Amino acid sequence: MHKKQKRDIFLFILGGVVLYFISGMVDELRVYQGASIAVYVIAISSIILLTGYSGQVSLGHGALMAVGAYAAAVARIEFNLPIILCFVVAVLASAIGGALLGAAAARLSGPYLAGTTLALAIGLPSLANQFSVLGGEQGLLFDVGFPPLSLGEEFTQYKWFFWIAGLAALISMWVVKNILSSRYGRTWRAIRGNEVAAQLSGINIARSKILAFTISAGIAGLAGALLSMTIGTVSPSAFPLALSFSLLTGAVISGITTLSGAMIGAVVLVAIPEIADVVAHRIGSSEGVTTNLPGFLVSAILIVTVLFVPDGPVEQHRARSAKKLAHKK
Amino acid sequence: MDFLNTLLIGITAGSIYSLMAISMVLVWRSTRVVNFAQAGMALLSTYFGYEAVTKLGSFWIALPVAMIGGALFAALVEMILIRLLVKHSSSGPIAGVAPIIATLGLLGVIRASASMIWGGQDVRIIGPVSNDGFTINGTTLVFSPLKLLILITVIILMLILSIVFQKTNIGLALRASAYNPEIARLSGIKVDWVRTLGWALAGAAGAVAGMFQTVNGNGTLSPDSIDFSLLLVSGFIAAVIGGLDSLIGAVIGGLVLGLMISFVLMYISSGLFFIAPFVILLTVLFIRPQGIFGAKAARRA
Repeated sequence: MHKKQKRDIFLFILGGVVLYFISGMVDELRVYQGASIAVYVIAISSIILLTGYSGQVSLGHGALMAVGAYAAAVARIEFNLPIILCFVVAVLASAIGGALLGAAAARLSGPYLAGTTLALAIGLPSLANQFSVLGGEQGLLFDVGFPPLSLGEEFTQYKWFFWIAGLAALISMWVVKNILSSRYGRTWRAIRGNEVAAQLSGINIARSKILAFTISAGIAGLAGALLSMTIGTVSPSAFPLALSFSLLTGAVISGITTLSGAMIGAVVLVAIPEIADVVAHRIGSSEGVTTNLPGFLVSAILIVTVLFVPDGPVEQHRARSAKKLAHKK
Repeated sequence: MDFLNTLLIGITAGSIYSLMAISMVLVWRSTRVVNFAQAGMALLSTYFGYEAVTKLGSFWIALPVAMIGGALFAALVEMILIRLLVKHSSSGPIAGVAPIIATLGLLGVIRASASMIWGGQDVRIIGPVSNDGFTINGTTLVFSPLKLLILITVIILMLILSIVFQKTNIGLALRASAYNPEIARLSGIKVDWVRTLGWALAGAAGAVAGMFQTVNGNGTLSPDSIDFSLLLVSGFIAAVIGGLDSLIGAVIGGLVLGLMISFVLMYISSGLFFIAPFVILLTVLFIRPQGIFGAKAARRA
């Protein structure tokens, strides 16, 4: 095992231990928000893999998350599978969905792909109303059960959610990081850089793009199942178009090619409703402003980031310090 | 009789989609941006129109007010947002997706702002004529004076637009800048202003689509209404069916889409309201990825 890899494993374990202690110290609401951050980290990393590396845009990841969530809930209710297998089912189901979408996506570029996935994001959740097994507008209950008794009496439900989501986030970040630094990651970057040149060096463009879509969808499905775990139900209204947009915003704020920045985007997404709430109270505004301020802020931040920090804060900082260093020499 | 009804409903809805597709195509031709905020801009212009209807009391004054408002707003968006975008984000890994992300952000900002300003209650726009169907030989059609009026207005607007494009100097400048900006600039065309003009025309076309979509529906206007989600998707799909580059294609794409949706809802299932456009889009893209009227060579890197 390489030295760098050893260091990374150590960092991941350290991260887990730190999270463990934090979860014991803060109140319930923060623990719940921690779980949401973990879910967003996973979802954003799936967008970074797809858009930042393979250069494909998806506005339909909210729909893919819904696929994962419904698959997990159906596996739980109809087949009574253990919870960990439900998450596996979620990943597999949405990966299959992603492969189908990817097969279509490989033929499309840029705006065509964006529009197609947009149509999917609007259309797919409404399809849930067509099948009674999916529970219609009310949706399905998704219950992961109480935390095991061995963790003690004071171990709350939200803390249990946080543990599951946090662990899943650590594992999926680890997996994504390894995929991105593997042969596939390099292949995707080559395609994004110059499709014709990549083709000439023997890369099968279509297959690589479909693979990227499949993996990204699988991760998104996991995020969807975890999201519905924290809500407790799976329904079409939990996966609105706004969710797909939020994920894209999160990825852009993180830096579309910076996996380690996923945390930034996730924290911002969870913090925005809180900040908006404070602002709305401060200016003492009407109900209309209060409910729409978060959406406004998400979109405004998205525009500002794309215009002024297009590569994300981490990348921007790195470029600036590299420039400084070069200047000194 | 069902068949005739479905046909006429499809053509009316399709003509509105055509307008929306025309505005997508105008923007695409002038700046190579697919404007996902187009439906949002149409929504905003429709609110301008609503304000005009309530203050001035006439639909026929409100329509040009909405068009002018929409055109001004679109021109502003081009001059601020799109020019900054070209300046800051035209290289690096994000270059390919930056316009898509920026226009989506704009859509979100418009929707949230509209909800803050007008969202408290549903507002109504009363159409200029009745939307009750014509009666022929005792049977009542779904086709109404309002739908007839929409069709006629859309046709007149399209005629004006095609005359502008084919017969005037402005139209020539628009076509030249779309064909090759560099050469157009060398022949003395102020390409930057032509781009702004392209956006302004698109804004006006979108405003008409928004107004008609509202009165052709149940007359109520709200920022999260299904009508505008449908406009967002169908404008894009109609433009893609037509090939994104062709105005004639956009018109035919809109009509084809309107008819297909109408027939699917009538003869297969009315629950397929949102899934039908998606399936139609996928089918078209699988058969002809460049659209029906698109140039043969696909645009690459």
